[in-house]
Amino acid sequence: MDDYDIRSAASILASVKEQEARFERLTRALEEERRNVSLQLERASQPTDRMSICNIGNGQPLATAWQQLVLQEQSPSNQTSIAMMQEPQEMVEETVTVEEDPGTPTSHVSVVTSEDGTTRRTETKVTKMVKTVTTRTVRQVPLGPDVLPSMDGSSPMGSYTDSIDRRFLKNGERYVGPQAPSTLGRSYNSYNDSYPESHEGQYRPYLGHDGYGDLSDSYGTLPRGGGSTYRPRYAYVPGSAYRPDDGNFTLPRRRDNYAAVAQPQVPVGSSVDLNRSQPERFQPEPYGLEDDNRSLGVDDEGYELDPDNSTVNRRTSAGVPERGRPHKGSRGYDDAVESEMVEERIPYVPGGYAAPLAQPERGSMASIDRLGKRSPSIDSIRKDPRWRDPDLPEVIAMLSHPIDPVKSNAAAYLQHLCYENDKIKKDVRHLKGIPILVGLLDHPKAEVHRKACGALRNISYGKDNENKVAIRNCDGIPALIRLLRKTSDMEVRELITGTLWNLSSYEPLKMVIINHGLQTLTNEVIIPHSGWESEPDKDSKPRDAEWTTVFKNTSGCLRNVSSDGAEARRRLRECDGLVDALLHALQSAVGKKDTDNKSVENCVCIMRNLSYHVHKEVPGADKYQELEAGQPTGTGGSQKKKKDDAGCFGGKKAKGKKNGDLDRNFDTLDLPKRSEAAKGFELLYQPDVVRLYLSILTESQNFNTLEAAAGALQNLSAGNWTWSTYIRATVRKERGLPVLLELLQSNSDKVVRAVSIALRNLSMDRRNKDLIGSYAMGELVRNLPSRQQRSAKNLEEDTVVAVLNTIHEIITDSSENARSLIQTQGIQKLVAISKSSQSPRETKAASHILQMIWSYKELRNALQKDGWNKSHFQSVSAAPKGSKAPAGRPGYDDSTLPLVDKSQDNEKSGSRDMIPMDELGPDGYSTIDHRDKERKYKSSDRTGDASEKEPLKNDTNRKNINRSNRASVNLVDARDIKPQPVDSWV
Amino acid sequence: TALSCFISFSFQQRIEIHKLRQGDNLILGFSIGGGIDQDPTQNPFSEDKTDKGIYVTRVTEGGPAEVAGLQIGDKIMQVNGWDMTMVTHDQARKRLTKRNEEVVRLLVTRQSLQKAVQQSMMS
Repeated sequence: MDDYDIRSAASILASVKEQEARFERLTRALEEERRNVSLQLERASQPTDRMSICNIGNGQPLATAWQQLVLQEQSPSNQTSIAMMQEPQEMVEETVTVEEDPGTPTSHVSVVTSEDGTTRRTETKVTKMVKTVTTRTVRQVPLGPDVLPSMDGSSPMGSYTDSIDRRFLKNGERYVGPQAPSTLGRSYNSYNDSYPESHEGQYRPYLGHDGYGDLSDSYGTLPRGGGSTYRPRYAYVPGSAYRPDDGNFTLPRRRDNYAAVAQPQVPVGSSVDLNRSQPERFQPEPYGLEDDNRSLGVDDEGYELDPDNSTVNRRTSAGVPERGRPHKGSRGYDDAVESEMVEERIPYVPGGYAAPLAQPERGSMASIDRLGKRSPSIDSIRKDPRWRDPDLPEVIAMLSHPIDPVKSNAAAYLQHLCYENDKIKKDVRHLKGIPILVGLLDHPKAEVHRKACGALRNISYGKDNENKVAIRNCDGIPALIRLLRKTSDMEVRELITGTLWNLSSYEPLKMVIINHGLQTLTNEVIIPHSGWESEPDKDSKPRDAEWTTVFKNTSGCLRNVSSDGAEARRRLRECDGLVDALLHALQSAVGKKDTDNKSVENCVCIMRNLSYHVHKEVPGADKYQELEAGQPTGTGGSQKKKKDDAGCFGGKKAKGKKNGDLDRNFDTLDLPKRSEAAKGFELLYQPDVVRLYLSILTESQNFNTLEAAAGALQNLSAGNWTWSTYIRATVRKERGLPVLLELLQSNSDKVVRAVSIALRNLSMDRRNKDLIGSYAMGELVRNLPSRQQRSAKNLEEDTVVAVLNTIHEIITDSSENARSLIQTQGIQKLVAISKSSQSPRETKAASHILQMIWSYKELRNALQKDGWNKSHFQSVSAAPKGSKAPAGRPGYDDSTLPLVDKSQDNEKSGSRDMIPMDELGPDGYSTIDHRDKERKYKSSDRTGDASEKEPLKNDTNRKNINRSNRASVNLVDARDIKPQPVDSWV
Repeated sequence: TALSCFISFSFQQRIEIHKLRQGDNLILGFSIGGGIDQDPTQNPFSEDKTDKGIYVTRVTEGGPAEVAGLQIGDKIMQVNGWDMTMVTHDQARKRLTKRNEEVVRLLVTRQSLQKAVQQSMMS
C-alpha cells in the first residue's frame, strides 16, 4: 500500500503541476469563458453558488478548456443542486426528503445516539455537509492552481499539464456529480467523452492497486490517516457515490488543490500521508458507470441517504480491512455513521478496481460508483512521491492568507481533514484554528464563509465537546446565526444548521443557542419551510411543509434544545410561530402520508417535549387546574373520580373558557369555547392535537416518531388540569384507544413503553379505565415475561415495569378490571415475576399489583379456585402496606405525576449525557430513561411508590361488561361513538 | 394541507358567497354535515359511505348560499383555500364563520343532484 500510495501521490502531484501550468496559460482565455459561464450560472438562478464558482474560476489561472468543461458541467449540477436546495419546490423536496429520511433519520441518530446519541446525529449531518463541499470542490480545483502558484511559487506546472487537464476534468466531473445526481451523470459522460482514453489508461492502473483501499479511507479513514494524504481520497469519494460523501469530495478537491500547492513545495518526504492521498487516478472507468447509476436516480438517493445510515453501514464489513481498520479506532462515535460509509466503500474496493468496468458484477450500483471514483484519485496521488501535503499548522495559517481563494481552500481542506478524525479536530482546536474559522463566517465572499462553515460543521461533530465549547467561546453561535440571517445560499444554510444541530447536542450550549438563535431559526427556517402562514392568503391554498435538509437540521437542533428543561421549554413555547409552524408541518405530513421521515420525527419530538408539564408550566395554567387535583389522597378521591367519569367532562371541570354544559356533550371539540382561535403554545394542548397524534400513530413506521407521538399523548393526558381532562376524553372519542392498543403489539420496546404509560395516564379517565381494562388487559399481560422466558418480545426492564404500573393503575378502583386481569391469566405471570424476577423493580411493581388484587375481597373466591392463596399476593419485596398509604400524594396525581417526575429526571440525565434528542425527548417526558439506568430505577421506584400509595378500594359498582381477554378493535366507548349527525347552520 | 380529492367522478365548482348580516351575526344561509369526527355512514349525500367530508345539508331559500348557487349535497372541498376534506365538523364550522371574513369562497364538488336526492330519500 505505501509504495503504491507514494507512487500515486507523486504522479498526482506531477499531474497537478502540469495542470497548473496549463491553467496559467489559459487564464486569460478562461476569464472570458468564465464570464460567459457566470452569466449562464446566474441565469440558472443561483446567484451565490454560481457567483462563487465564477469568482473562483476568474481568480484562478485555470486552463481554459478545463474551466469550460467544468463550468458547463458544473453549472448544470450546481443549478440543479442549487435549485433543489434553495427552492423548496417539489423536485427539491422529493430528492432531499428521500435522501435525508433514509440516511439521517432513525437508525443512526436515535439508536446509536442513545448513549453517544448526540454525536451520531451530528455525524449524519456531517456527511451531508461533505456533499456540499463537493460542489465547492469543483470550484476549488480551479482555485487550487491559482493558489498554489502563489503559495509555492515553485509549482512545476509544465510537466503536469496533460495529467492536470485530465484531473481537472475528472475532478470537476466527479465533484459536480456528487452534488447533483442528475448533473453528475452528465458531467461524467462528458468527461469520458473528451478524455476517456488518455485518462483511463493512466488512471486505471492506479485504481487497480490502491484505488479502492484509498477510497474507502477517504470516506472514513482519510481524516485519520493524514491531512495530506486524504485529499486524493476525497476526490474519489465525491464523485462516486454518496452525497454525504460530498464532504469527502470536497476534501479531495482541496487536496488536489493543496496537493498542487503543497506538493510542489514539499518533496516526497512525507510519504505516509501521500499514500492515502493518492486521489486523482480513479476517474477513468468508474465514472462512466457512476453516471449511469446516478442517472438512475435510485443510486443518488441511496447514496445520500444511505451514506449516513444504512447503506454505508451495511457495506462496512467488506471495506473495513483497508481503511476501516485504522479509522475505526479513531472514530469512536462517529464511527457508527462514518464507519458505515467507509465500510461500504471498502467492500467494493477489493474488486473495486475492476468494478468500474464491470458494473454488473458489483452488487450495488451505488457501491460501484463509489469505488470507482475513489480509487482513481488515490492512485494518482500515491504515485507521485515528490510532493507532500501541507501540515496542519500550514493549513491553519492559510486561513489567514490575504488571498481569499487560499482561505477557502484551506477551510475546505480542514473540513476534509477533520472528517471523522477526532485527533485532527482536537489539533485544530489547539492550534487556535477555530476562532479563525469562526471569523471567516463573516467574510463577505460566499466561498470563504461557506467553506469555513463546512469545516466548523465537521469540527463540531463528535463526542469531543471541547470542540463545541471552543466554537461557543469565540462567539461562534451568534456568528452562525448572523450568517444564517444574511445568506440565502441553501448549501450554506444547511451547513449552518447542521453545525448548530451538532452544537445543540451539548447540554451547556442549548440555552446559548436558544438565546441567540431560537427566533431566527424559527423565522428563517422553521416557519417558511413548514408552510405555515400566520396570515394565510384567503385565496391561496395552505402550503405544505418542505422536508428540506435545512428544515431537518433545524428541527433537529430545536429538538435537542427543547430537552434542556423548563426554561428551554418556556422559551420554545413562547417563540412566536414555532408551535404553530410545527403543528402545521405535522398536519401537512399527515395529509401527505409522509410521516416516516426525520423531520417529522424531530417535529414530533419537539412537540412532545413542549407538551411536557404544560399543565404546570404554561402561563395561566393555574386557572385550569381541576378542583379534584388538589384533593388529598384517600378514598374520597376515588369516588370523585368515578363521578367524573360518569361525565368525563363534568361541570366541575369547565373553568374559564370551558363551557360546562357543552362538556357533557359528546362533541368534545366544542368544549373549550374560545373567543378566538388558539395559537402559539395553546395549540399544544388543544384537543385538536389528539387527532394529529393519533394520525401519526396510525401512519408512521418510524419508531422514534411513534414513541414521541405516544409520549406527547402521555404528557398531555397527565396532570389534573382541565385540558388534560379534555385530552383524555378526546383520545377516546377520536377512537385513539384501539390505535394505542394496537401499538402495544409493536416490536419496538420504546414504543410499547410509551404507549403503556400513555394508557396509564389516560386511565385517569374513568371511562377510559373501563375500556382499557376490558380490551387492553390481555395485550398488556402479553407483554409481560412469562416464567421461562421474558416476553416474546424480550422487553427491557423499563418497559416491563411500565406495563406493570399501567396494569396497576387500571385495576386500581376497579375490581372489574382486576377480574379482567385474572381472566387473562395475568396472575400467573405476576406471581412469577414477583417471586423470581431478577429485577427488583419488576418484582416490586408486580407485587403491588398482586396486593391490589387481593384487596378485592370479592375476587378471592375466584382466585382460590384457581389455586392461588394469600401467600401469592403478599410479596416479600413489596413495600409494606403502611408505606403505601402514607404517601401524602393526591390520588390520581400520584399516578400521573410520578410518571412525569420520572421523565424529568430522565430528561435531565439525558441531557447531561448529551444524548441526542431522540433519546432525551422520549425519556424525559413520557418514558423511562433508556440511557441512565440508575435514573430509571429511581424513577421506577417512584412510580412503584406512587402506586403503592394509592389506597386499595373495592369498586363494586362497575357495570358488567364483557371482558374479553383480547383487546379488540372495539376499544371505543359506545357512548362516545355515537355518530350523532351534526348539522350546523353557518 | 393539500389533500387529494377522492371523488373522481364529480366536477368541482367555485362558489363565492357574500355573507348576510343578521343582527350581530354574519350568516351564509346553509348548514353543513360531516367531518372526520362524525359518522360518515349517516351522511345521506355521500356516495362513498366512508367519506368524512363536509357536505351541505340544507340551504336557506333566498339566502346568500342559494343566491350564490350552492346546493344541497355539495361537498365542500375548500373554504378560502383551506382544505375541508380532513377536518372535524367544528373546524369546518369555524372556518366558515370567521367574523372577519365577509366573503367566503368555496370549492365544492357536486355529484349528480339526482343521486344525492335518491340517497337522501333512502336515508
